[in-house]
Amino acid sequence: MHTSTPLIHCKVCACVGQRPAVLQKNEVLYCARCGHHLRSGHTNLQTIWALLLAAAILYIPANLMPVMSVYLLGKGQPDTIVGGVIHLYQAGQWPLAVLIFLASLVIPLLKLITLSYLLITIQRGEKRLQQERMWLFRVTEFIGRWSMVDVFVVAILSGLVQFGNLAHIEANAGTFCFAAVVVLTMLAAAHLDERLIWASVDNNNSPSIENAK
Amino acid sequence: MTITYQFACTHCGQINIYQALQNGEEACCVRCSSVLYRQRKYMFDASLALIFTGLILFVMTNAFPLIALKAQGVTQELTIWKATAAFWEQDYYWLSVLLALNLIIFPLFELLGLLWVLLTIRLAWQPPWAIKIFRWLSEVKPWGMLEVFMLGLLVAVVKLGDIAVLVVGSAFWAFIFLVLSMAALGAHLDRFTVWRALTACPSA
Repeated sequence: MHTSTPLIHCKVCACVGQRPAVLQKNEVLYCARCGHHLRSGHTNLQTIWALLLAAAILYIPANLMPVMSVYLLGKGQPDTIVGGVIHLYQAGQWPLAVLIFLASLVIPLLKLITLSYLLITIQRGEKRLQQERMWLFRVTEFIGRWSMVDVFVVAILSGLVQFGNLAHIEANAGTFCFAAVVVLTMLAAAHLDERLIWASVDNNNSPSIENAK
Repeated sequence: MTITYQFACTHCGQINIYQALQNGEEACCVRCSSVLYRQRKYMFDASLALIFTGLILFVMTNAFPLIALKAQGVTQELTIWKATAAFWEQDYYWLSVLLALNLIIFPLFELLGLLWVLLTIRLAWQPPWAIKIFRWLSEVKPWGMLEVFMLGLLVAVVKLGDIAVLVVGSAFWAFIFLVLSMAALGAHLDRFTVWRALTACPSA
């Protein structure tokens, strides 16, 4: 945040307060209304980079290791995410194949890319495309949780298909890695403060009337 | 008497000035044009009705099986608890905990927490706990994933269609309507209005 502004506000409840002129080192301000801590500035960007890096590394085993094994009549076959998509496609269920392909492969990757892009533009103090970047962030934040669908499918199948030797389904380590990717990218998105996108053009000192639709 | 005061857009940080609206209107941020707040008739009462609906459906969803599978005379039933426990039995404890949080604890907290907050507003209770709960709710919100689980359930149903006979369980429709009522609740309740009702901004 720019130090020129005497106002500070809360991300949770939108409350505005006076920013004290002098802040002690390591002093944390809390919102007077809801008690949320008021973070200031770029302190948390390193955390987000760390979360993104961890997610990017885990993305590799998540796709190389099998997510579940289907045992039919005693014979087992481990499947990776890509393998599962191919099986669905071959079985003629291409809408499902597309859905799983998007949710499990494309969205986590796109999330890593867009969050990195947003972080880089924030760190550079980029002044253009604020509106577009804000929407990009919101779409990323909204869509990220839908990647969990693959983990839930494995939970449902392995909970339901338990017919001993006839047929049973087992979860494998890939599911764990994949869930970790989703959780880490969600944490990264939750840590990223949208307002930093606008920080380079902040003009909080000139309040104006909002337009009511 | 008209009340005006300053508040910040939670999306971009721009300072806006509060003005009272007519029913059905919404106010937008001058800079990023995000919706700041909406004025709705019967907002709290309608939300309370949705919460009670949600709580009843939540109990039904958790008490009865969602779907069941029949093969060779054996029937396997699936509840949300069983899907969560499946990972535990296979020694993926962290995944099991994650699912329990996503599917049971956070959705229940959302319903009960909002119930507490809205009762506080409606019955004019002392607000300190409601303020804390409503702040926690805003952070917990993305982690309740019932609607994602619904999609997973549909995927699983289609996948299993060829292998065995599927039976729609008694909780299946309760679950679908639970997801719908929680989505309606999230869309109907305006956060800014709740904050305003809980307590005035100290600098107002």
